[in-house]
Amino acid sequence: MMGVVTYAIWLALIALSLAAAALSLDPQLGGPHRRWWWQGLALASAAVLALSPHVVTFSQQELLVFLTINTLVVVSYRLLALTGEFSLGHVVMMGFGAYASALLSKQLAIPVPLSIILAAGLTGLVAFVLAFPLFRMKGFYFLIGSFAAGETIRLLWKAFIGPKGISRIPGVPDIEIGAWEINFWEPVASYYLILVIAAVSIWILWRIEHSHVGLTFHAVHWRDQLAGAVGVNTWRTRTQALVLASFFAGLAGALLAHYITTVNPNRFAVHEMVFVLIWVIVGGTATIWGPIIGLVTLTAINEVLLRDIGYDELRPLFYGVLLVLAMLFLPNGLETLPARLVRHFRRAKLLASQR
Amino acid sequence: MTFGSVDRRRFIGTSALAGAAAATTVHPGRLRAEETVRIGFLAPLTGGVAAWGLPGLYGCEIWAEQKNAAGGVEIGGTSYNVEIVSYDNEYLPDKARTGAQKLISEDGVSFIEMLGGDTMPAVTPIANRAEMLVSTLLPSDLSPDTPFLVAPAEVHPIYNLTGVWWMAENMPEAKTAVICAQDDALGRPSVATYLAAFEAHGIEVKDTIFFDISTTDFAPVMTAMLAHKPDILCLDTAYAEFVNELCKQAFVQNYGGQIISCTADFYADIIANTSEEFMEGVIFQFPDFDDPALNSEDINFNDPNGFFEVYNERHPGQWGAVSWEYASILDLWLDGAQKAGSIEPAAVLGGMKQGGKGAHAFGEANWWGEELFGIDNALVGNWPVVQIQNGKAVIVEFKSIPEWWGEHSATMIKHFEAMGEMWYQRA
Repeated sequence: MMGVVTYAIWLALIALSLAAAALSLDPQLGGPHRRWWWQGLALASAAVLALSPHVVTFSQQELLVFLTINTLVVVSYRLLALTGEFSLGHVVMMGFGAYASALLSKQLAIPVPLSIILAAGLTGLVAFVLAFPLFRMKGFYFLIGSFAAGETIRLLWKAFIGPKGISRIPGVPDIEIGAWEINFWEPVASYYLILVIAAVSIWILWRIEHSHVGLTFHAVHWRDQLAGAVGVNTWRTRTQALVLASFFAGLAGALLAHYITTVNPNRFAVHEMVFVLIWVIVGGTATIWGPIIGLVTLTAINEVLLRDIGYDELRPLFYGVLLVLAMLFLPNGLETLPARLVRHFRRAKLLASQR
Repeated sequence: MTFGSVDRRRFIGTSALAGAAAATTVHPGRLRAEETVRIGFLAPLTGGVAAWGLPGLYGCEIWAEQKNAAGGVEIGGTSYNVEIVSYDNEYLPDKARTGAQKLISEDGVSFIEMLGGDTMPAVTPIANRAEMLVSTLLPSDLSPDTPFLVAPAEVHPIYNLTGVWWMAENMPEAKTAVICAQDDALGRPSVATYLAAFEAHGIEVKDTIFFDISTTDFAPVMTAMLAHKPDILCLDTAYAEFVNELCKQAFVQNYGGQIISCTADFYADIIANTSEEFMEGVIFQFPDFDDPALNSEDINFNDPNGFFEVYNERHPGQWGAVSWEYASILDLWLDGAQKAGSIEPAAVLGGMKQGGKGAHAFGEANWWGEELFGIDNALVGNWPVVQIQNGKAVIVEFKSIPEWWGEHSATMIKHFEAMGEMWYQRA
């Protein structure tokens, strides 16, 4: 029974994010009741997200925590991708936040909530410094440059902190309100905390994308020389995107570090970055929902379905096949699937009415 | 639609009958087992470190199958079937945490086997809270903070000293060495051990070269090593694919001296990539279990030759360093459970450590580790030195680790401290 509920929750999460992508991509969808559709979707999402940890198993609660952290990683990654630049250093930025918060809280005894915020800020600052050499490059050269920068940072952790990383990192402190105690060791409590942080962060990222600043990101992506000719400082715009994306990646890393209480350099190596790229590519980058769809769908297949049917060892193979299929049949990502289906039905309806 | 000469309906009917018969027919031995005890296997089954997880799972499955076929295991007057429940942690701490939670709270395991290393810090708090007995292959995971963690099979990297010790006795002309190692939780303590062993036996280490785990081109690493013209190339505890690549490079660059390595997993592949002559005499630490030396009375692993034969029939070409290790830990767990008369983790731990001695796969051994790990939770005794002779791994001698430790412990501690690997130095 628990298994059925678990699958229902994962399917609901995928369906809700697909519906949100469909509404974002098709301005005609919903017609005059479009606002109601959005409100209904928001309510349904809130209900599923609030209820889900109470109806799944203990290990699935853990998965939900990591899913929420990874949501922040992929959505922040998309912000940089809006400027047309794909980085291979985003997971290292996440790791920087993890290391910074671990060191601040463990070595300097800074309270964990403050160390998380400071770590995110420091990650943004490092990204700002990296922007000077990195944005002398574009496209493929930027991709390789970001990989080199990321590896340099990762190897510095190894050299100065050690290959084993840091363990026994303090967790988020418990909260006591009268007789009511919230213990963040429990995955449910951590899930709600991280969910709230992720929701606020995603809202901020959404607002940025739809602001004047976000529009310049798009302009720099599609017409950077034209944007420059009309007075947009393209270097500053790309730097803004990198700093903001890194800030939220650092935040995600800090949350991860205090939850699992350990960090090590291998956790943020390039093979982990490949997973982020796959989530984003399979999901799509046209809307903020695309990377979330990719993340949720692939996590459900990889961590729930394939483990349940006992194909642990074959999971990388399935991952590869899925990526190839997505690239072949949905090159713009899973997020375009509902819109394509809607178009297909509209066309069929039109043809039927013409007969 | 027909399947050969059988029509579809008949095929389905026959299959259903066969399935029902299979489901209701129980092996005569299994009828005697009253309950099931579940053992968790939480190790990398995919990714770069899978070579030290997956072959071990195969070994555990054979072990469990043999016990179940013999009617299960008898613990405290109850007969149990053994079920191995695996979870691929991909050598990532977050996945290891999720896996530990699942194995403990959902699968109800009584014991968890792990590789250890990067994944252990995320599991330790969970194991401590649940008072779950966990085993590691890497004693460098041990500390006073890990009372429920034991290293009963492999005392990595301490046993590496036996290879150097044997080499010093049998190849006195080899006087200089160069070490290379991946810069991680496996590589560094192993370097400390080799440095101590070389120093203790009067072999000069010309250089120690660390490389990152993302390294793919080993030509520069090998060139830098060979520039010192060493008598001995020490490959430390490099991952299986790294050992293969390093040997290939040494072969291509015409190295003609002695090679010593912690492991030489899938050495037949390495020979295929180099030559039998090149690999002749390579020293490492993990025997094939068809070795006649393992039929000695001192050996506690049950029917090693038979185990090796079954393993190779089922998984040809997959025999590696860990193929027998996780299974041998199950022997020690069973011994502890039978002494305790219970499958409760704390009781089994007590049973395992009873009298301060344990029946290690390679002979009786002592629970040890206080000086190096801050806790006596590593089982240490004899360890084999293995050499490739005519394309086949052969045990050349068993050496006593406690005997070496009695003479050279200060040297080992000195190098562990210099490498920042003592338990009190860990971040």
